[in-house]
Amino acid sequence: MIAFISGGARSGKSTHAEALARRWQAERGGARYYLATARSGGDEWQARIGRHRQVRGEGWITLEEPVDLIAALERVAPGSTLLLDCLTLWASQLLYASEYAGELDEARGIAMLERLLAEARQRDVALVIVSNDVNEGMPPEDAEVWRYLAFLQRAHRLVAQEADEVIQVMAGLPQVWKRRGEERS
Amino acid sequence: MQLFIGGTCAGKRGVVRQRFEEPRWHSAHARDRLEAWPSVADTACLVLEGWERWIGERLAAEPDDDRLRQAMVRELDALRAWEAERGGQAVLILLEMGRGIVPLGLENRRLRDLNGWLAQDAAARCERVWYVWNGLVKELSC
Repeated sequence: MIAFISGGARSGKSTHAEALARRWQAERGGARYYLATARSGGDEWQARIGRHRQVRGEGWITLEEPVDLIAALERVAPGSTLLLDCLTLWASQLLYASEYAGELDEARGIAMLERLLAEARQRDVALVIVSNDVNEGMPPEDAEVWRYLAFLQRAHRLVAQEADEVIQVMAGLPQVWKRRGEERS
Repeated sequence: MQLFIGGTCAGKRGVVRQRFEEPRWHSAHARDRLEAWPSVADTACLVLEGWERWIGERLAAEPDDDRLRQAMVRELDALRAWEAERGGQAVLILLEMGRGIVPLGLENRRLRDLNGWLAQDAAARCERVWYVWNGLVKELSC
């Protein structure tokens, strides 16, 4: 099972994603993992990470992996539930992280995501993917920002297409775009 | 007339391509001028996209926002008249750009305002309005 949950900043998307991951784990058994794509550098990020961790509460096995989602998935036991938070950071780190300079690009990033989705299904890992909608303001004027936004949107469209459940969160309220068994026109 | 609206790279074109058979595309991105659409209207389905560019091209020549808004509305009304006379269908693709921070530059603020008004004016004239989000599509109630 795969879910995609997106929305604006502080829209409540992480809270909703965590609740969904808890529900899936309760239904399916297995462990519950939290895959943080944020690197824990800098005071502001420490505070943000601390806040998320405190709200999440007990019962999570935390993995930290800024770029290589396949390596992270390989650490997850089959039959578990995995919450990935979030794609926006992953996308920027994939394009710009210095340790991967020149090795990764948009096509490899999309291939990595496709493999993550396929292998999660194969290993019976229920996957909840969180991201942030940043494409409904003025289009970027800077070419690099354009490149980032176009890549992030490709990633969003892929995950939304493949997911069994797609939710847009606004003001803490989940809007269902797609739910397996309730196909919309 | 139908309207598809969504953010940058939301998948608007892909959604329209799936839903309409062999439409004629009239696009600012292919340097088509908005007012030239009647010359390609010998078709059952006409898709018009790049409205934010068409607005952007008119900003300098028309400093008055209300007059520019009305000029865009006249194009919408002409498209509706064409549909009624010729039995065709017009499909509008608009960019949602109003959900970020207020732009610093005056030109961009005008563009954002006029694009928002155009979306309201277009939706008021369309039978169906669709919101495209991450490649998925949902009908907005009118």
